[in-house]
Amino acid sequence: MIVPRRVALRSLFALAVTAFTGGALGRIATRTTPGAPSGAPHDPLAFDEMYGGRRIRGFSGPGGTPVALVDGRPLHLMRCADGGYVSPIDHYASCPTPLAATRAAVDELGTAPLSRFAAAHGVHTDPTGGSPRGVHA
Amino acid sequence: MVYTRKNQRDLTGAERRKFVAAVLELKRTGAYDEFVRTHIDHYTADGEGRLRTAHMAPSFLPWHRRFLLEFEKALRRIDGTVSVPYWDWTRDNSPASSIWGEDFMGGNGRRADLQVMTGPFAHSSGRWNVTYAMSETRFLTRDFGRPRDPVALPTQAQLDEVMRERVYDVAPWNSTSASGFRNRLEGWASGQGNERFRIHNRVHRWVGGLMLGGGSVNDPVFWLHHSFVDLVWSRWQQRNPGAAYLPAEPPPLGDAQYRKVVSRHQPMEPWGVTPAELFDHSRIYRYA
Repeated sequence: MIVPRRVALRSLFALAVTAFTGGALGRIATRTTPGAPSGAPHDPLAFDEMYGGRRIRGFSGPGGTPVALVDGRPLHLMRCADGGYVSPIDHYASCPTPLAATRAAVDELGTAPLSRFAAAHGVHTDPTGGSPRGVHA
Repeated sequence: MVYTRKNQRDLTGAERRKFVAAVLELKRTGAYDEFVRTHIDHYTADGEGRLRTAHMAPSFLPWHRRFLLEFEKALRRIDGTVSVPYWDWTRDNSPASSIWGEDFMGGNGRRADLQVMTGPFAHSSGRWNVTYAMSETRFLTRDFGRPRDPVALPTQAQLDEVMRERVYDVAPWNSTSASGFRNRLEGWASGQGNERFRIHNRVHRWVGGLMLGGGSVNDPVFWLHHSFVDLVWSRWQQRNPGAAYLPAEPPPLGDAQYRKVVSRHQPMEPWGVTPAELFDHSRIYRYA
């Protein structure tokens, strides 16, 4: 199989990013697990797979809301009234699960990595580059 | 003086050039990207438990009417003869339509990375660098008709069906509203596959690329699409003179939509205008 140079480079980059962030998360997990009871229930929002050449991962964040990462970068998932999720990459289809919404985002992402704006929307994007701040409270 | 918004297919070559030049000038000054940001900032989905103004809500139509007016005002400060043309996607429904010409919106994205390579908004023209997007792309992207899972633009028959609605909007005032003009036009529906996105939403999907996400305003065709959505609303208003914006009053405490939607006389962020104030555009612009 002939792999275009661009794709090959992107895959190498993705591997490097996931290796790095995977390691970092691994360390965090190691630090928090001693407090957890053995046989803790499986996180229903957890997934970790290669999809469309990207490593996508999901888990329950603080407050129980789903967190999704694409090549280690956060993808903001928003809850819809029909019980599904939309992502900032694809606003026009509510997907039944966080995994489906993350895959749908990868389908439409093209070749570029996620930007920091994908981490949160429906809030003010701060032009100075600081953290987005909520305006809808 | 009332100005006219025209069908983009009826613009003369000079009118096409003037519109493109005004958009490029707005981009050069940085003002265009503020419109991109405003749209990103106001996207809130309807399961989030927060006030939503621009989408999945009754104020979808007046919010975008005002958004277009602000954009048009900015264009007309550059060239007072320009207005936002509309794209009737029930007629000009092919990648070969003149809207995608090299002197106007430019064409489809290329296969490898969806990059638009033709027209004034191609990155290679040097005048269209994407600043605010959900990915780190710096170039405009499109994916007409989504070839890997094909989707067609809405038809006249589908639009006629929407026009038969007699009520502006219905509870629960969101993407699950089963009837009502607003949600039928916005295009949220249940079902399988492509049935789930209709009319307005379907057009965003058909164009694809940046038009599909939070950075949809990065594609100038966003304005031509929403100009037509606004025209459809305007025609519906003419046919249904008694059908006012709903809800008339804010949903009460205890209602699931309490403080989640904008009622007829409540101000909309970021302008502080009410839906009622945007109901009649006849003293500002008309559609030809």
